[in-house]
Amino acid sequence: MFIYLYDEAATPTLDLGGITNYIKDKLPSSQIEVRENFITFHLARLERRGREEKMSHLAEELARAKVRKLGAPLNDLFVPLKGEIGYERRRLENQNKRVAGILYDGFVLSGILQGLLPPEECALNQVHIVFTNQLFGTWDEHDRRYHARVSIYNKPSLISTTGIVEAPAKPREYYLLKQQYTALGMYDAAEVGLKGNFRGRFIDYNDERMTRVMKGYVLQALMHQLTGEPFCTDKSCRLYNAHWQEEVIRSQVENPYDLCPAHERMLEALLS
Amino acid sequence: MPLFHSVAEKDVTRAIVSSFLRQFEQYADSDVIIVGAGPSGLVAGKELAARRLKVLIVERNNYLGGGFWIGGYLMNKVTLRAPAETMLDELGVPYEEAVEGLYVADGPHACSKLIAAACDAGVKFANMTIFDDIVLREGNRVAGVVVNWTPIAALPREITCVDPVALEAKVVIDATGHDACVVRRLEERGLTRTVGFGAMWVEMSEDLVVEHTGEVHPGLVVAGMAVSTTYGLPRMGPTFGAMLLSGKRAAEVVMGILEGITVA
Repeated sequence: MFIYLYDEAATPTLDLGGITNYIKDKLPSSQIEVRENFITFHLARLERRGREEKMSHLAEELARAKVRKLGAPLNDLFVPLKGEIGYERRRLENQNKRVAGILYDGFVLSGILQGLLPPEECALNQVHIVFTNQLFGTWDEHDRRYHARVSIYNKPSLISTTGIVEAPAKPREYYLLKQQYTALGMYDAAEVGLKGNFRGRFIDYNDERMTRVMKGYVLQALMHQLTGEPFCTDKSCRLYNAHWQEEVIRSQVENPYDLCPAHERMLEALLS
Repeated sequence: MPLFHSVAEKDVTRAIVSSFLRQFEQYADSDVIIVGAGPSGLVAGKELAARRLKVLIVERNNYLGGGFWIGGYLMNKVTLRAPAETMLDELGVPYEEAVEGLYVADGPHACSKLIAAACDAGVKFANMTIFDDIVLREGNRVAGVVVNWTPIAALPREITCVDPVALEAKVVIDATGHDACVVRRLEERGLTRTVGFGAMWVEMSEDLVVEHTGEVHPGLVVAGMAVSTTYGLPRMGPTFGAMLLSGKRAAEVVMGILEGITVA
């Protein structure tokens, strides 16, 4: 299996070297290549004129992928504003900056990135795992709203260093306290104060535990490629699909084992 | 012996009228007209006037400063996140560090210093003046604003059949806060669209407001909370740090427009 890991430079605590060693330990026969930011890397392969055209096209596509209402699915007919396209264009030119405050449709985003993959890197034994600081979500037909996600397993698979902070719910008390702050209009104080009060109880930006946590999400991406099923129901297994920060910490940081016995056996069978 | 010099009432009246009219006549054609004298509008005005541009700020209230006088819950302390404290340093406003990266200043002190800085730089004001419409030129470029006295808008039409007047400018800045009055007027004419407020990820929205500050339509730059309305950015997060830095960026964008270059 050929595994391509794409870096996300805005998160200094994300160590792709550590993740590479972890994958090597789990899948000794795999070949791993660490690359720079996905968009930067694949745009660099194009000649200058083609790159310029592609960037303009990408900027518009990304602006279209922006979720405008949490309670409404993406409207394909919405034409983005000039300023929105300009913002995306500036971001494309500076991929090392953290994007803040915009939620993108994850499936659309994944599709946009898929369009950058060259045909010779789209074989079944080639896995592209993209770390990004963009926040993305998926539309849920059941409750008819968008939900922020940490990862989307596809070709390429996307793992968000912002999603790991924003998507899994924080402890209930966090939101109660936040309500009190915001009722007083103390938005800045809320952000700083809350993080102080709940330090350690959720994964934060540039968290020291980021690499350790992300190992599990990379493993999920690989299991998705190998078996079609990335998740496990065991709350202590790296493959557990956590929806609360406490669950993330339990399955990725305080986990008594890496993989549950069933998945350990499954991986052994796949490697034999 | 009276304390004050003897002056006739008619001289007081003439002084007010002639001084105001002279200024109003002069600023009927400005380099930049800023609609809204909140923190983003004041900063933009200060920066542009400091570059020797003719800047007029139109404000519908009698007072200037928008919401910069008070913080949350009518408490007059305003908070800013780093690096916005550099703006307070520039203005000479004292502040304290509440926790790492979060600064607290007195609203009245910060707001009055900002107003004074804008005045010192040469910004002129038309307060109690409400934005009514836009002036359009060839290619639908925004080339000024149509204004009226604020009280006119508050009285019944049969009492106040008063036509507005137009003021021209090379560039207009919409710094009208959540209302985004100028952009919305453009939208009513089918020349642009606003997205309305987004409702997500409050904590991270300050950066977005600054990053989206820019020319929304030829001749019209959007700054401050009006940026949120225009682009559908989260509405609650941006506080005064974003307003100040958005104003600064708006000034840079305007300078770029006037110099015929694109500010990326």
